[in-house]
Amino acid sequence: MIELKNVEKYFTKPIRGKGVWGMLKSLFSRKHTVVKAVDGVSFTVNDGEAVGYIGANGAGKSTTIKMMSGILTPTGGEILIDGKHPYKSKERNAVLKTIGVVFGQKTQLWYDLPLTETYELLKYIYDVPDDEYKTRLGELVELLDMKSFMDAPVRTLSLGQRMRADLAAAMLHNPKTLFLDEPTIGLDVLVKRNLIDAINKLKTEYNTTLILTTHAMSDIELLCERVIILDAGKVLFDGSLEAVKHMFGDSRDIKVIAKAPIDADGVKSSFGEAILKTTAEDGGHSVTVTIDATKLTTGELLNYMFNHNEVADVKISETGIEQVVEKIYEKNRIAAGGNGDGDAQGTD
Amino acid sequence: MIKELKLYPKYVSMSLRSGLSYKADSIIMMISFAISEIISLATVYLIVGSVPQTGIWTFNALAFLFGFTLVPKAIDHVFTDELWILAYWAVRRGELDIYLTRPLNPLYQFVAKTFKWDGIGEFVVGIVIMCIFAPMSGIAWSFGGVMALLLCGFFGIFVFTGIKLIFASLAFWIKSSGIILNTVYGFSGYAKYPLKYMGKAFMSIMFYVIPFGLVLYYPIECLITGENIWWSVLWSAIAAIVVITLGLFVWHRGIRRYESSGN
Repeated sequence: MIELKNVEKYFTKPIRGKGVWGMLKSLFSRKHTVVKAVDGVSFTVNDGEAVGYIGANGAGKSTTIKMMSGILTPTGGEILIDGKHPYKSKERNAVLKTIGVVFGQKTQLWYDLPLTETYELLKYIYDVPDDEYKTRLGELVELLDMKSFMDAPVRTLSLGQRMRADLAAAMLHNPKTLFLDEPTIGLDVLVKRNLIDAINKLKTEYNTTLILTTHAMSDIELLCERVIILDAGKVLFDGSLEAVKHMFGDSRDIKVIAKAPIDADGVKSSFGEAILKTTAEDGGHSVTVTIDATKLTTGELLNYMFNHNEVADVKISETGIEQVVEKIYEKNRIAAGGNGDGDAQGTD
Repeated sequence: MIKELKLYPKYVSMSLRSGLSYKADSIIMMISFAISEIISLATVYLIVGSVPQTGIWTFNALAFLFGFTLVPKAIDHVFTDELWILAYWAVRRGELDIYLTRPLNPLYQFVAKTFKWDGIGEFVVGIVIMCIFAPMSGIAWSFGGVMALLLCGFFGIFVFTGIKLIFASLAFWIKSSGIILNTVYGFSGYAKYPLKYMGKAFMSIMFYVIPFGLVLYYPIECLITGENIWWSVLWSAIAAIVVITLGLFVWHRGIRRYESSGN
């Protein structure tokens, strides 16, 4: 179980002069600005949960993950992983043995050597017994489809291969919790999809607790049941994926293309409030209707369309979490007087 | 500590094999280190040789001192060269992240990663120079004297490492401390000359502030003047312990305020 209790991380940035003298002066100078990267965050993650941790750039996601994985020490509050603090030197090693970390933009693999070399070093670092290491590595190679590049130096791997290799490195010691910081960054659609599938398999196979930050909302929709939204270092929302979607109404965009122009006003008057918006294009030949899914089903609308028009094509799209998050931010910005991102420009 | 020691050969072997792709590079580095030291000894010869020699500091004695200073420097260079990276980039680029997430001492992981065998060039040059000039240096050799000198050299390694660690760790506060480290490290070059004649103030700095003079120059002075060299062994040991402790202290304070880097 992971518990965060009112966690704060402030960065103090010294105001410093130029050159060697300025650098020396800043050593003794007391002038600095305080940046609140994480500002009173509390939540609990139970074993086996998959949590998507999202927010805009500079919201404090990476900072939180770095505090949970022992890289940064919180300024205030407390982080407990199974009752131990990852950032205290006496408890560090015990906690770190139970977690695995993957950073999308940093690798822990030895650059000039084949993958197996890094894995063997990790085996010693984490005290993984010989037989356990062998079976585990075999499983991971199979699951992540890594056989073809096990003996190539890491520098020759593609980004997709490297990410899979990094995932395997983080999973070798069978961690209870896996932290993924933007694991799909820079990957193309197909490779990304493969990686997500692989993470899903790992999750079900080993019942690993998953904490994930990403900018691609589709990753969250495919991997997580629970979402925590962060803005300016504070938790904005914490709940199930379903709840996020319903928070701002569950709507569908239905695009209908017909041979003759469609009477958009007629649709509106027939269903009344259930129609949120209609947009006509192409001289009325193509109309996009946004419906409130709690009041009207897609089937009912389509039935109506088929009865009144000679329909050529239909396209239905559900509101993604992407739009929802956008809405949440918009709302928050307005509430805060249009100054949403305030002072949170810490590391992310 | 036992785990760290057991893992060290693994790290060395990985570092050596990962350097194999850049073998030519390392050999060139090794040769150029050696050549630059030989040239700087030749400079000493040109300067000292052109003035009439007085007192105990003959060219042969100076050459022996010169050779001795290279040995601890070279050994430290082989084992802890990565500290330069800490001073210049590692903090600024957030390169320590990965070591902090593993259940093993982060400083050890960081330093053990690089085994810089090209430092062996300096080491060999130092030993050869010492062997050539030892008989002519005017030192009355005894078994005890050799043992004491070995110990001084051993403590000297830790003074180099400690000074590097102190000033490289300053990077946690100022992001990049390479220039400062470079300046301080450069002071080790002055220990190749008789500090006695460089003024009281400067000698005190080289003995008690940046103790390169204490561990590199003082033992040789003791040997040449016939003073009791075991005093310099004691001083070297104290200097090594103080500097290493201070280095670890600064590192530990620094790592707590490590800020990683943004994505």
